[in-house]
Amino acid sequence: MEGKIIVITSGKGGVGKTTATAALGAAIALEGKRVAVVDMDIGLRNLDVVMGLENRIVFNVVDLAKGRCKVKQASIKDRRIENLFLIPASQSDNKNTLSTDDMIRLCKKLREEFDIVLIDCPAGIEQGFENSVIGADEAVVVCTPEVSAVRDADRIIGLLYARSITPKLVVNRIVPRLVASGDMLSHKDVVDVLSIELIGLVCMDDFVITSTNTGTPIVLDRESRAGQAFRRIAMRLLGNTEIPIVDPLEDSKGFWNRISSKIGLRKA
Amino acid sequence: MLNNFFSKIFGEKEPPPGEVAKKRLQFALVYDKLEVSDEMLQNLQNDIVDVLSKYFEIDRASLRLDITRQDDLSALVLNTPIIAAKKRRPGKNRDSG
Repeated sequence: MEGKIIVITSGKGGVGKTTATAALGAAIALEGKRVAVVDMDIGLRNLDVVMGLENRIVFNVVDLAKGRCKVKQASIKDRRIENLFLIPASQSDNKNTLSTDDMIRLCKKLREEFDIVLIDCPAGIEQGFENSVIGADEAVVVCTPEVSAVRDADRIIGLLYARSITPKLVVNRIVPRLVASGDMLSHKDVVDVLSIELIGLVCMDDFVITSTNTGTPIVLDRESRAGQAFRRIAMRLLGNTEIPIVDPLEDSKGFWNRISSKIGLRKA
Repeated sequence: MLNNFFSKIFGEKEPPPGEVAKKRLQFALVYDKLEVSDEMLQNLQNDIVDVLSKYFEIDRASLRLDITRQDDLSALVLNTPIIAAKKRRPGKNRDSG
């Protein structure tokens, strides 16, 4: 069976695409699928450092797309998670190095080798975006609850629809305390405005910072709310749609939190 | 916190920042989608002038076409001084106008 290609995109930079790609790739591999995560941010690669694989790069996605190496040579195997592979970006080229034809050929090759291919799309709507989207079957749009991020996400969603892709939404970096006090857009607001299918909610989580600092997969951390949220998103992406989407506001109103906010130890 | 306290005391009701964000977003998105190029506006203006000229004598140079925004809708506003109405019945000799 041919593999499926999912592009992770957002329009705006800095909303957590790369973190999401690394986390979802790891989580899907933990479900037993053979996964490749592809860094398409050519010239500004980062997925390698987020995954802790930066010192093992020999070939990159441009080499592979131009036929200078085989899929196996360009895929760096993760040592902690079975079945997880990284195809890094090239650091010396720019985003116009590859054409959409190159990408269509590349996607065909990747489909033969992997069950799921996640493409980490660069920010912006230029050639890098076109290349990342051209071979994709599905798209996940990552958006934070900020006016600028939602506006750019809306633009990206329009561009995806124009390419006959119906994207799914991840709302990232939700701060439940600020949503509860009315200071932050809620995920409902974001879904309202963008009106696409929601596939997951991820809270702001300090563990994301420590995991990218050390290059360890956040999904292996049982304590991390973000890591666990990404595992649930991965399962939904694989078709387990019955897994409920946990509202971070409800979730943070656990027994202890309720008690401690009553007696003033913690803001509700 | 203190601001909240005072605004409650004095009965000011400012919407919370989250709500403001949503309003601004909806506004921005509508506006983004309505963005029309200058070329299109110019063509539209020329077409409108041609139609109006069949019925009125107008001053082509002082005609102004703008897109303005009110709360949640956009309006196309056309301002032109009318010099005189043409004495001819509309519908007749259309092509010669």
